[in-house]
Amino acid sequence: MPDTNTLELTIFTILALFMLGGSLTMISAKQTYISAFGFLVAMIGLAGEFALLDSRFLAIAQIMVSVGAIVVLSILTILTINIKEENLPHEPYKFQWILLAALLISPFTILLYKALKTLPQQFTNIENINSKITGELLFTQWVLPFEIVSILLLTAMLGAIIIAKQKIKGEDL
Amino acid sequence: MNTDPFFLLVTLLFSIGLVGIISRRNLFVVYMSIELMLSSINLLLATLSKVLGDASGSVMALLLIAVIAAEATLFLAIIIHLYKTKNSLDSDNFIDLKEIK
Repeated sequence: MPDTNTLELTIFTILALFMLGGSLTMISAKQTYISAFGFLVAMIGLAGEFALLDSRFLAIAQIMVSVGAIVVLSILTILTINIKEENLPHEPYKFQWILLAALLISPFTILLYKALKTLPQQFTNIENINSKITGELLFTQWVLPFEIVSILLLTAMLGAIIIAKQKIKGEDL
Repeated sequence: MNTDPFFLLVTLLFSIGLVGIISRRNLFVVYMSIELMLSSINLLLATLSKVLGDASGSVMALLLIAVIAAEATLFLAIIIHLYKTKNSLDSDNFIDLKEIK
């Protein structure tokens, strides 16, 4: 029977590999729907990481909003506009570009990791961050941002309808 | 559990998203890279919430999920509109913004 730390690290590693694999597929696939499936894998892995961090409510919200709404909406959009092979961008040097960008960004990555690592090294023993505490905070201390988010979502919905509904002149869509 | 792996994962995901934005021209990949970067920040907030024992980080992450949803809606609507206008997903075709009505 492995101890809890090893078990947590194993689960973390599996989820992290899924997420990294999914995101690498996402940026390297030629077909858009394969990218969307990579993104889906990354988002499910992220929900797992939230659960590993004891943020149960966040994990469920991630599954419901990111996986259930955002990824499904993306895949629906991809299938709806039905991109033809010849309408995809012509990217003959895609992998060279990805390699070059990775090379350029690697110093920034190292810097970011070193900066984040200086934060407290160990988890402290605290109670679980459960939905009760999160909900209490959300409706007491954070109630104004919460209301602003509702207005933001409403505005985004209206904007999306107006942008997507616009007719191109001379074309019947 | 040590938090270093979480920070490493956040860093790697953020960098992968940045690489995707810089190197790809497919609008959908650019959109999903932005989402990935936002999600990695979400993971950072949740991790810090756990490290510092303060649930405010979780609340912020929750609000950020809503902001990501709003951003996704608008971005997808813009992509649909751009695709209808030029029948292409190549970001190079949309350099000239004044052509888009």
